[in-house]
Amino acid sequence: MTRLRKLALAVVLLTGATAASAAAQDYSRLALIRDDVTRDVVRGLLGGAFSRGVPTEPLMAKALEGVAKKASTTKIRDAMNALEKRMRRAQDLLGKDASVDELAAGADALSVGVNEKTLARMRKAAPRRSIALELGVLTELVARGVGPSKASEMVLSLMGRNATGVQLTALSNDVQGDVAAGLNPEVALTLRGKGIMSLLPPPPSANTLQPRPK
Amino acid sequence: MIDETDELIQRAARSLKALPATNPLANARIIAAVRARRAQTPSRIVQVAQWMREPTLSAASAAFLAAAALVVGFVAGGALRTADGTSPEIAATTERPVPPGPAPALSAANTHGDVAVALLFEARNAKSVAVVGDFNNWDATSSPMKRFGSDGPWTTTVRAKPGRHVYAFLVDGTTVVADPRAPRARDLDYGGDASVLMVTTP
Repeated sequence: MTRLRKLALAVVLLTGATAASAAAQDYSRLALIRDDVTRDVVRGLLGGAFSRGVPTEPLMAKALEGVAKKASTTKIRDAMNALEKRMRRAQDLLGKDASVDELAAGADALSVGVNEKTLARMRKAAPRRSIALELGVLTELVARGVGPSKASEMVLSLMGRNATGVQLTALSNDVQGDVAAGLNPEVALTLRGKGIMSLLPPPPSANTLQPRPK
Repeated sequence: MIDETDELIQRAARSLKALPATNPLANARIIAAVRARRAQTPSRIVQVAQWMREPTLSAASAAFLAAAALVVGFVAGGALRTADGTSPEIAATTERPVPPGPAPALSAANTHGDVAVALLFEARNAKSVAVVGDFNNWDATSSPMKRFGSDGPWTTTVRAKPGRHVYAFLVDGTTVVADPRAPRARDLDYGGDASVLMVTTP
């Protein structure tokens, strides 16, 4: 066996072991589910997701959320199925290298009504770094009542201007505060967005972005 | 149109001017420490007079000044972020109704990029409280809260990655309660409200 083949085999084994370890960790949490029927349903759904290459950690969390909220087995099953579907779609849109955090954030964004094309545009705008924070800010803006298209354009514009994570989170928090104080969500987004834009340098000429400044 | 815009700008300015809530327990500790120090140190005039007579700088004083400079540097850094309107406010230990807002306090990130988030909850009659959320996989055993004093608020620190998180408090292992200090979002899967936490990059 050549050295290259040995290396490839080692990489495959290591990757498999890591994935199996993560899945085993999720399966060990099944013990937190007291109800036998629910536990069996959740185990089956996790196994199916794992075989389809979908990360099981967010699904296990969704199941435990349902248990904490005393949801029925049917509701837990439906919630897990819906999440897996959204995560698979997010995987298609964000790419196979997307992290678990990105997939979970992408699934959340889709759940509140963000357009699928927006996820693909966000990935294209930042192909080499995590966009979990940006997706979270987008989800939160829509959850506060900003229209998905308006929120998407603002987040994409800020990404195009290399806005920092701190600035994006501040935008989200400020809009939330404005809306709680009675301001129209989209007016709040426009005002706050302009404020942050005024602090940023002109957009870079390249299509792809640099790593987000800390 | 101009009047409307002016009104909006004024409302936005008012919200920007609003000071973050402070932690009354921390305030009490600081006031107590200052009072104790005042009681044992001479007045500033006496101190200056003493220093004028013997203008020396001991090694301990030099070390103290260096440490103070570092602290001032860190505080200034924090203040600069606050000036940008981006620094999180500190969770308050108050029983009065508090308007929703980014209540939890953040601290430094670890090597995995997780950010420490201090959470606080008032539940005088509770026997146990735990934080459950997507940052701890809704695992009630992973983030139990500790009571501050005999009947004070429940507190804990969790670690979360930058992004949007939903969470709740689990009281006595049975009742899920939303954080009264945090903004809420409709839970589309299980119904009810979830508390929202936005964690930023450190």
